Amino acid sequence: LNAAPGRAPRQRVRFLPTPAPGGGGALELVAARVPVLADHPLVRGPRFRKLKIGAGHRLDVKASGVFVLGIGHGNKLLTDLYNCHLPKVYIVGGLFGKATDDFSDTGNLVEKTTFDHITREKLDRILAVIQGTNQKALLMYSNIDMKTQEAYELAVKGLIRPMGKSPPIITAVRCLQFALPEFQLEIHCLHETQQYLRKMVHEIGLELKSSAVCTQVRRIRDGVFTVDDALPRTQWNLQSIREAIQNCQLKVETELEKTLG
Amino acid sequence: AAMAGVARRLLCRGLSVAAGPPSTRQLREAEEAAPVFQYAGKAARRKDRVFVWGFSYSGALGVPSFVRPDAGWKKPRRIQPTPYRLETDEKISSAACGYGFTLLASNTKDITKVWGMGLNKDSQLGFQRTRRDQTKGYEYVLEPSPIPLPLEKPQQTRVLQVSCGRAHSLVLTDSEGVFTMGNNSYGQCGRKVVEDEIYSGSHLIHQLKEFDSRVVQVVCGQDHSLFRTKKGTVYACGWGADGQTGLGHYNITSVPTKLGGDIAGVNIIQVSSYGDCCLAVSDEGDVFGWGNSEYLQLASVTETTQVNVPRHLPFKIGKVKEAACGGTGNIVLTEEGNVFVWGYGILGKGPNLTESAVPEMIPPSLFGWSDFSPDVRVAHVRCGLSQFAALTNRGELFVWGKNLRGCLGTGRMEDQYFPWRVTVPGEVVDVACGVDHMVSMVRSFT
Repeated sequence: LNAAPGRAPRQRVRFLPTPAPGGGGALELVAARVPVLADHPLVRGPRFRKLKIGAGHRLDVKASGVFVLGIGHGNKLLTDLYNCHLPKVYIVGGLFGKATDDFSDTGNLVEKTTFDHITREKLDRILAVIQGTNQKALLMYSNIDMKTQEAYELAVKGLIRPMGKSPPIITAVRCLQFALPEFQLEIHCLHETQQYLRKMVHEIGLELKSSAVCTQVRRIRDGVFTVDDALPRTQWNLQSIREAIQNCQLKVETELEKTLG
Repeated sequence: AAMAGVARRLLCRGLSVAAGPPSTRQLREAEEAAPVFQYAGKAARRKDRVFVWGFSYSGALGVPSFVRPDAGWKKPRRIQPTPYRLETDEKISSAACGYGFTLLASNTKDITKVWGMGLNKDSQLGFQRTRRDQTKGYEYVLEPSPIPLPLEKPQQTRVLQVSCGRAHSLVLTDSEGVFTMGNNSYGQCGRKVVEDEIYSGSHLIHQLKEFDSRVVQVVCGQDHSLFRTKKGTVYACGWGADGQTGLGHYNITSVPTKLGGDIAGVNIIQVSSYGDCCLAVSDEGDVFGWGNSEYLQLASVTETTQVNVPRHLPFKIGKVKEAACGGTGNIVLTEEGNVFVWGYGILGKGPNLTESAVPEMIPPSLFGWSDFSPDVRVAHVRCGLSQFAALTNRGELFVWGKNLRGCLGTGRMEDQYFPWRVTVPGEVVDVACGVDHMVSMVRSFT
C-alpha cells in the first residue's frame, strides 16, 4: 500500500527573491508555485503505518463462510450495517442418530438413537412449525403496537423485524437435502450465534423422537454480502481486496439508504 | 520377602492398565459400543388430540379443575388464554361450540358417540342425570359427558356432524336423520312449539327424518336451524324475525321447510350461519345470502336490513369454495386460496377497516405466504360470533377479531386486528369457534 503512488504534494504560492534580469545585486520578488516542504515524502514518512480493521458479525471456530471486515472508514459503515439488522443465511448440515454435549459431532457422546422412522415429510412439518413460531417472535420483538394501522401495513409487506436487541429469531428454514442419516438445512436468521443453530439441530432431532448433531455450519450470506463477493484464502492480496471493496460500495450504500434513511 | 515382591510384580502386570486421556481409538470403540435407544418405531402413528381455550367458568372447556380446583393450591382459572389439551376417550371427528357449551362427536360405532359440556339450562346437552337425585339434571356440565341419543341401531349408526346454536343443538347421523335437543321456543328444534314448556331437565330429543334426501350438513344459527341435503336443497326452521329462515316471511317456523328464492334449483354444497345472517355456496362458486343485514352483510344487493328470501350476492372475486358467517361479519375462501371479508367489526385489515359492504381481500402474506414459501394457502375458514379463524394447508391456525374472554387463544387479552398465528403443538385439522371459547382438533407432528 505504501509503495503505491501517493497524493501529490500540496502547492503553495510563495514570493521568492530572485536576482533581477538586469544586472547588479538588486533582488526582486517573483511569485512562484512551489511544493510544500512538509508534504515531501522524506519529511512525512510512509503514508500508512497501521491500518484499522474491524470485524463484522462473529463466526466461531467450528463454523465457516462469509466474514465481513471493514478497513478504515469502513468501520463506520460496519456499525451502520449492524444497526440495519439484516438477516443472515446459513447452510447447516446435520446427522441423525447421535446426541452430544456440545451439539456438534466432535463432542462427547450422550446418547445414540434409532432414526429409521424419520421421513422428509415429518422434517418439513417440524420446520414449518419452527418458522411459524419464529414468525410470531418476529412480530412480538419488533416493539410495534399491534393495534395500529401501520403495524398492519408493515406486517403485510413482511418488513417487520426487531430493530433492537432480541433473542435469536429464525425468519425462514428450508430442507435442501435429506439422505438418512444426513440432512442439510438452509436457515435465514437474525441476532443468532452459531451455537444456537447447533442447538436448534439438536432440538429438531428431539422433536422427531430421535437425536441429531450438527456437522457443518457455513454462512453463505451476511446482509448484502454473499459468497460470490467473498475472497477465498488464495485471494487475500491488495489487488483483490481493492476490487472487492469497489464492487460492494454501491450495494452497501443503497442498502443503508433504504433501511436507515 | 522375595516371594511377596514377585507376587506384586505379577499383580502389577496383569491387573493395572496405564491411565490417561482416552485415545481416538478408545473413543470410537466406546461410541460404537454405546446402547442405541428407540423412542419411536417405524409404525409409530400420529396421535389425534383436542385442544380447547377461552372462557372456562361455563364448563364449556370440559376441564373441571378450572372451575372447581381439585387440589388446595390450585386456583380457579376463569380464562384459558392459550390452547390446553383435553383428554378424550375416543378420536373426536367433529366438534361444535355453542353459546357457552360444546359438543364433541366421534365417528365410532360404540354406544357413546357424542359428548357435551358447558351450559345445560335448556337441555341443549340432553338430560345429564345428577348423582344425588335421579330425577334432576345438571345445569352446568363441567366434564365431557356422554349424551344418550335414542338411536334405533346404536351399534351401527355413525354420527357425522354436530352443530350448536344459542340454546339448542343438532346431531347428524348417517342413517337415522337429525336429532335435535334444547330450547324450542322458536321452533328451532324442528318440532311444534309448546307453550310454557320447561326446557331445563327435559328428556326430550326430537328426531327429524322427513327431507327430500339424506341430510349431509346441519348448521345452527342463533335461534334457527338449517339443514342441507345431498340433492343440494336447504331446509330451515326456527326464529325468522330477521328473515334468517329465508322462507319469505318473518314468522316462526317449527317444521323444517325447503327454501326457495335464488337458491331454488341450485345445487348448494355448503351452508353457514352463527348469528342471524346465513350464507350458502353453490357448486359453481356463487354465494347466496339471507337474514340479518344490519351490518352491511347483504348491502351489496339491497338496502333493507332484513332479507327473508335467499339472494344471490354478485361478487366478482372468483369461484368461492367455502363461506362462514359470524355475528356481524362474513368471510369466504375462493378456489385460488384467497380470503375475503366483509361486514362490520374487526375484519382483519387493521384497525381502520371496521365495515365494508363488498368483500375485501386479506393479503396472503399475513398467513405465512412469502417468496420463500410460495405454496402456503388457506384451506378452511371458520367464524365465531365476532372472531374469524383460518386454517392453512400447513396445519397452522390464524385467528383475528374481538378477543372476548381470551377466546382467540393468542395468550393476550387484546383484540387482534390482523391474522395472528396461534401456537398449537400439532397440525391443526379443524377448529370450531364459539362466542367466548374455541375447540380445535389437532394431529401430533410425529
